[in-house]
Amino acid sequence: MFKITEIAPGVRLVSVKTDKYKTAEINVAMALPMDEKAAANALLIKLLRRSCKAYPDFIEFNNRLAELYGASVSASVSKIGDAQVLSLHGSCLDDRFALDGEALTKEFVSLLTSLIFSPNVSGNSFGADNLAREKRLTIEEIREELDDKRVYAYKKCIEYMCENEPYGKPEKGTIEEVEKVKMNEVYAAWKRLLSTAIIQITAVGSVDDKEITKIFKTKLKKIDRQPCEIETIFLKKPQRFQRHEEKMLANQGKLVIGYRTGMENSKDNYYAEAVMADIFGGGTYSKLFTNIREKQSLAYYCSARLIASKGIVVVQSGIDSDKEKPVSAGIIKQLNEVRAGRFDDETLSASKKSIKESLTLVSPDVICSFYASQILEKEVLSPEDMAAGIENITKEEICAAASTMVLDKIFMLFAEPGEVDA
Amino acid sequence: MKINKYTDEALGEEVYTATHSSGLEIRIMPKENIDSVYAIFTVNYGSIDTFVKQENGSFKSIPEGTAHFLEHKLFESEELDAFELFQRTGAYANAYTSFDRTAYLFKGSSNVQESLKYLLDFVQNPYFTAETVQKEQGIIGQEIRMYQDLPDWEVMFNLLKMLYAEHPVRIDIAGTQESIAKIDDKLLYELYETFYNPSNMCITLVGKVDPDEIFGIIDKSIIRKKKAVPERKFDPKTPASKEKYAEKHLSVASTQFLLGFRDELEKPLLKIDDEYASEIVMDVLFGKNSPFFKKALDEGLTTMDFSGSLFSGYGYSAYMIGGPSENPEKLSKMIKEEITRAQKEGISKEDFERSKRKLYGRSVREYDDIESMANLLTSLYFAGDKPFDEIKALRKLTLARVNKRLKSINVKKSALSVISPAE
Repeated sequence: MFKITEIAPGVRLVSVKTDKYKTAEINVAMALPMDEKAAANALLIKLLRRSCKAYPDFIEFNNRLAELYGASVSASVSKIGDAQVLSLHGSCLDDRFALDGEALTKEFVSLLTSLIFSPNVSGNSFGADNLAREKRLTIEEIREELDDKRVYAYKKCIEYMCENEPYGKPEKGTIEEVEKVKMNEVYAAWKRLLSTAIIQITAVGSVDDKEITKIFKTKLKKIDRQPCEIETIFLKKPQRFQRHEEKMLANQGKLVIGYRTGMENSKDNYYAEAVMADIFGGGTYSKLFTNIREKQSLAYYCSARLIASKGIVVVQSGIDSDKEKPVSAGIIKQLNEVRAGRFDDETLSASKKSIKESLTLVSPDVICSFYASQILEKEVLSPEDMAAGIENITKEEICAAASTMVLDKIFMLFAEPGEVDA
Repeated sequence: MKINKYTDEALGEEVYTATHSSGLEIRIMPKENIDSVYAIFTVNYGSIDTFVKQENGSFKSIPEGTAHFLEHKLFESEELDAFELFQRTGAYANAYTSFDRTAYLFKGSSNVQESLKYLLDFVQNPYFTAETVQKEQGIIGQEIRMYQDLPDWEVMFNLLKMLYAEHPVRIDIAGTQESIAKIDDKLLYELYETFYNPSNMCITLVGKVDPDEIFGIIDKSIIRKKKAVPERKFDPKTPASKEKYAEKHLSVASTQFLLGFRDELEKPLLKIDDEYASEIVMDVLFGKNSPFFKKALDEGLTTMDFSGSLFSGYGYSAYMIGGPSENPEKLSKMIKEEITRAQKEGISKEDFERSKRKLYGRSVREYDDIESMANLLTSLYFAGDKPFDEIKALRKLTLARVNKRLKSINVKKSALSVISPAE
């Protein structure tokens, strides 16, 4: 079971103490409103990951991690609803398995916190070279992500769908925004992060939660904390339905369809929405898998995903470019089947079992991510709480949830064959 | 069945193994405090198996992509397909095909015995018709197209095509649109009989299980066949292509490259200690804490996705080093110079110890992951190794062995694969 400790205003620790594992996981997630400062924030978290006062050079820092039995730290930027979440995630070997009895996790926690509170700055600067490098790497990362056509098509659909909402912005900002960021903006982003971000530290393993609380309390004492407020926009209906398309040199076309669920917040009707989306396009028993793939052989993948933090469902499929019409018609038809309740009890039971199975969290990293993703929720739920919520959902509730789904945007990426070998 | 027990005190783990009278290998790692079970039923048959040895000793060629095609088809049956069976227990079921293996798996926290019976049942009872095979060609055709659009995938296969002119590791695991068109139900049944023999298979379970109970269920459910382990073709002198450079344009924004050095094999499979030694070589020379990586990054020649690793399996082995780069030729030249320098100077004791410690910590942490463990135990079996042999090999690994592996890299024999943006 988990334990919550309030450390400072807007800062909490969620700890799952256990000696089941050989790994200790620590995640520090920091949420800010998604706005025009996204690019500066994204660059900041990458700079913080790279070094600190004690290890100003990233090679030295990485060497230190290697010595700690290959401990690892990664930085990531994501969106949860209309918030931008900057995270540092660390994994470390548990003390019991250190060959010379070293206090690994304690050392690791102190290293991880120094990245946030004692970065490699001098005179309000992270170093011009460092910033230039991080800009180049971030731009390259954005490009590489978009080189995956599946990701590209998905992001385009979200961008069109949430054009006038913070969620429509790319999580790391655009390439142009990254290029324009100035040093003083990154430094200001760090100050803003420390004083205004909503912070959740999640720790799994035999890590001492008192130790973590103590370190963070000490570091935060000197900071005037005024946690930000993040309100996510939940649209009941799209502003207007639109279909967009693009052509690209590729072998396979990608079809993405975005729906509004009608949810008013991330917990609104959550369990019914989750089972509905799963029966529509989740597991192998789902309407989309059994019809679009298995019966009609139109796609290798065709699936629907609920993004509860934004109240939307996104359907994705990889298809032949000349099959857009039959596939999109098929998807719409399958949603109507769910609305009309044309699915049997076995499918309902399979879906509930499958969701509950995915809530049986068996490795420390998965447990850590499960809790870390609840950073913006007032009430933290355990996997057991969620499984119980899923169990109670009825067929009528699922049909009702499907009925409030409204088609918002279609994005079609046409594949144009004809690549040329150099 | 004679049951063997292996223990590793330092890790606090144990593994039970047994060879069933049918020839099937069974490996079980009980983990009392993990509320789930990962089971994987594996056949030593993958995409590199494009030849079948005949009774007269000659090899007959078969189309590329049959192992993967069979993997897709085994999920179907005359009544309920495998997915429908697992829906009853709620277990997550899946399958995959790699270069040298096909694996069927489930992960579940309840009704494990029932799930295990389903797994054993559907893999041992093939059912398909001309019509269902034809239908699958559409789905697999889409799968092949999907992979062809992934730059990482393309850059690797274009490299493999140069390193291996004939070895089937050069072909996409799923085959090609042309090769899968040649596959029919009759061929699939024939290959099923050849490869899906218990003596060519291994089943591994990791998680909350009672070993005796599992051994009992498996014993009762295995269909005995005449023991026959299909022999694989191994040619240590399999030729490389004359091409040393390949560039392909895709609609991508960034240029990717992969530089490869073929690792010449005397035996079909590398020893575990050599695999670890190679990992350390790659980590010390090109890892995220290497001076080389820092230099390449500072000069703007690559990104955090740069890496070097050993890629090996039955009859093939190669070092692959690469990532995104605006100047693949320059970076490739630097990589070759770095290997040559290191070969002259040798890896230092300090670098070796640090890298070994990192690898050790990460290997121990892998034991938390039931999926990784099931895969590891299976790999060890097909390589002829016992449980925990890998961690023992790592503990005993010496600097001399690492430097010997380093020296064996032939920098003169390399190939460079590049994916660049289309105009």
